[in-house]
Amino acid sequence: MEGGEEDQQSPIQRSFSSPGNQDELLKITAESGASSGGSRASSIVTLIYVVYKSIRTVVFSNKLNLLLPFGPAAILVQELTDQTAWVFFLSLVGVAPLAERLGFATEQLAFYTGPTVGGLLNATFGNATELIISIFALKSGLIRIVQLSLLGSILSDLLLVLGCAFFCGGLVLRKEQLFNKATAGVNSGLLLVAVMGLLLPTVLHYTHTEVYFGKSELALSRFSSCTMLVTYAVYLYFQLKSQSNLYVSLNEEGIQIEEGVDDEEAPQISKWESVIWLLVITTCVSILSEYLVDTIEGTSIALNIPLSFISVILLPLVGNAVDHASAITFAMKDKLDITLGVSIGSSTQIALFVIPFSVVLGWIMGQAMDLNFQLFETTTLVVSVLVVALMLQEGTSHYFKGLIFLLCYLIVAASFFVHDSSAGGQF
Amino acid sequence: MDNHNDDTTPIVPIHYNLEMGSLDGRAVIEFEDESLVSPAAASISTNKNSFHEITHISAATSAKSYKQHMRNSVIDSIKIVIFSAKINILMPLGPLAILVDKMSGSHGWVFFLSLLGIIPLAERLGYATEQLACFTGPIVGGLLNATFGNITELIISIYALKSGMIRVVQQSLLGSILSNMLLVLGCAFFSGGIVFYEKEQVFDKATASVDSGLLLMAVMGLLFPAVLHSTHTELHFGKSELALSRFSSCIMLVAYASYLAYQLKRQKNQYIPVDGGETQTEEGSDDEEAPEISMWESIIWLSILTAWVSFLSEYLVNAIEGASASLKIPVAFISVILLPIVGNAAEHAGAVMFAMKDKLDISLGVAIGSSTQIAMFGIPFCVVAGWVMGRPMDLNFQLFETATLFITVLVVAFMVQDGTSNYLKGLMLVLCYLIVAASFFVHIDPSSIADKPPKPSH
Repeated sequence: MEGGEEDQQSPIQRSFSSPGNQDELLKITAESGASSGGSRASSIVTLIYVVYKSIRTVVFSNKLNLLLPFGPAAILVQELTDQTAWVFFLSLVGVAPLAERLGFATEQLAFYTGPTVGGLLNATFGNATELIISIFALKSGLIRIVQLSLLGSILSDLLLVLGCAFFCGGLVLRKEQLFNKATAGVNSGLLLVAVMGLLLPTVLHYTHTEVYFGKSELALSRFSSCTMLVTYAVYLYFQLKSQSNLYVSLNEEGIQIEEGVDDEEAPQISKWESVIWLLVITTCVSILSEYLVDTIEGTSIALNIPLSFISVILLPLVGNAVDHASAITFAMKDKLDITLGVSIGSSTQIALFVIPFSVVLGWIMGQAMDLNFQLFETTTLVVSVLVVALMLQEGTSHYFKGLIFLLCYLIVAASFFVHDSSAGGQF
Repeated sequence: MDNHNDDTTPIVPIHYNLEMGSLDGRAVIEFEDESLVSPAAASISTNKNSFHEITHISAATSAKSYKQHMRNSVIDSIKIVIFSAKINILMPLGPLAILVDKMSGSHGWVFFLSLLGIIPLAERLGYATEQLACFTGPIVGGLLNATFGNITELIISIYALKSGMIRVVQQSLLGSILSNMLLVLGCAFFSGGIVFYEKEQVFDKATASVDSGLLLMAVMGLLFPAVLHSTHTELHFGKSELALSRFSSCIMLVAYASYLAYQLKRQKNQYIPVDGGETQTEEGSDDEEAPEISMWESIIWLSILTAWVSFLSEYLVNAIEGASASLKIPVAFISVILLPIVGNAAEHAGAVMFAMKDKLDISLGVAIGSSTQIAMFGIPFCVVAGWVMGRPMDLNFQLFETATLFITVLVVAFMVQDGTSNYLKGLMLVLCYLIVAASFFVHIDPSSIADKPPKPSH
């Protein structure tokens, strides 16, 4: 697939490896141009054409991208008017297609890098949206929002996404579906490790039994984060090593999730295009996230909704919308292992990677981000993880289990609707 | 269990597990359908001399055969329902409690007498329910069992709610769940394990898993308001948590309804034994096809017994605080440990018996199914009832009680997850219950009405 020409001068010209008559023509043009010493005009034309074709593939081929204009609209509204709520919602909607394209670009790149690095890419960028939002919130010192949005992401993956998938799968297929108990068990165990990492600083703080009040707990959080990151690294190693045994189908099909197409052998854009698009989309997401984070508090006041509800319930809806859709699709096709990989794998990723990473990042930035998520939030997480772990250990699924998860999520959402999340809560 | 042959009348053998030895001419009656006076009874009446001697009710009545038939049916019905169970010896204690209440003011005695008086009524109530279930088919029968299974607790709770004793309601329902999950299940596992010493008994994991999930959902519904309140992170202190409780209760009721739908659908496919078994639980016999009393009789008895239970519950509830003061036992202990033993006595016996017959699925259905029923139906129903009545009943059971429930659910969920049972598991569950009982014996509730002035929070 890759062009074997050694005499190409610009990396972009390598994209001529894609099949197609027009491209062949351009290839010849380029070659002739290159061999003739490079006519500037023709290389610019080919450049423009390449860019156009790339944009067509990435931007215009997906229906979700209808939502793309919402992003710029949000920026416009922010500059022109004072309507923080509108800016918030517009940027929220605008991030959704970007998140999806980010996933697309990531797994396009994964084709070129082989399964190992590909798996790592998926593991790191799988929740890139949450990561970016957290980084911006950290920079603004909104530590509580970071904690709440990451928590909400875990809860939504565990209860909402999984519940919808089990429910739809059970209703459509009208039978009990099976999945791999071992994977689910490992993931449950990892989630419980993360819960322990979150629980201990919280309880230490609330029982006022720290050696140095306030400071010990921060130090403990930082240490635990490093431990959790090590755990995550080992988990990745374990996963990638045992790909050949258990996880082959999971990983390969995992790569197809965002794409929804079955041609693993034929990526749609070249490697350098993927890299460039990755950077472009990340930048767009960052810009929108900045607006998102800046307008959260204003929206909370304007709409009279508690900050915790917005951070825990509304924000993660965006980042997880895509996971949601693909999980349900795969459940209805009776491929529950992939669904579990998407939902529980994603929560494990956030719990063991994104959260500790934010703590370490905060450490570097000088922000006091810690693992003390306050008692109520931590309790929510503990109970949710237990519910999911217990229900999954049997290895079967039916619509009723999905319904239980969904109803639990409703209860969680309702609790956060009446929850005052400022860190002044006392025990 | 022998039958007594009457000459011309077709006979249906009737088995009683707990049978009074004094009843000589074993009742040989067949009721063909719902009518109170069946053709069979008419033919029996001419041969009924011996019965007249045995019954304790005077036979001096009108000579009209119709009335005679009626009375015979009534007499026989009473005989079947009231005199056929040994436990009904305790029945006179009910009226005795009322007498004691009128004559003296001794709350302690009134409490114990009404407590003991309710036990036989609860058992007969279960009996009447599943007699009725025989007539209504499996679906409605299952629904009946699901609703009336814990009717005693519900009735006691509603009376307590009316008197504004919200804490008692919460604690008695909690105690009912704890007693079902730990005491009843533990005794069942233990006795089954002792009887079947060589092997491990098995039961169906899937049902247990779903029930555990539902119980955890109930724990979630109870935990969030409690933690929300105790961390003082409500939006509107006191009010948000009540609104959340009411919303969560509606969701839990929806979950319970779906659970029933799911179970009934499942039964249609594979699961006949469980329903038939649960129907037999109180009766303890194996003839589902031949109910002992007619449908209308069941309904009438159901109403009578319910009225009786309500009557006694009122005395019970009014005597709680006085009994606590005079016996020097904390109200928490009375509500959590003593009250539920009453409501669950019959289920207890049934579960143990089925475990000893190696029918563990039925025992589990009785024990864990009953806890699920209370957790997902009884508690939310009381919250909604309180809402309607204007009482601030909420799901905030206070931190200690909620923590107890949480740990209990976890222990039980892990014990039943592998689908096997042995006497050690049973013993562990029973000992856990002892620990729980001991903790409530020394637990004083700061927010309860009957308690001493509030102490500083723990």
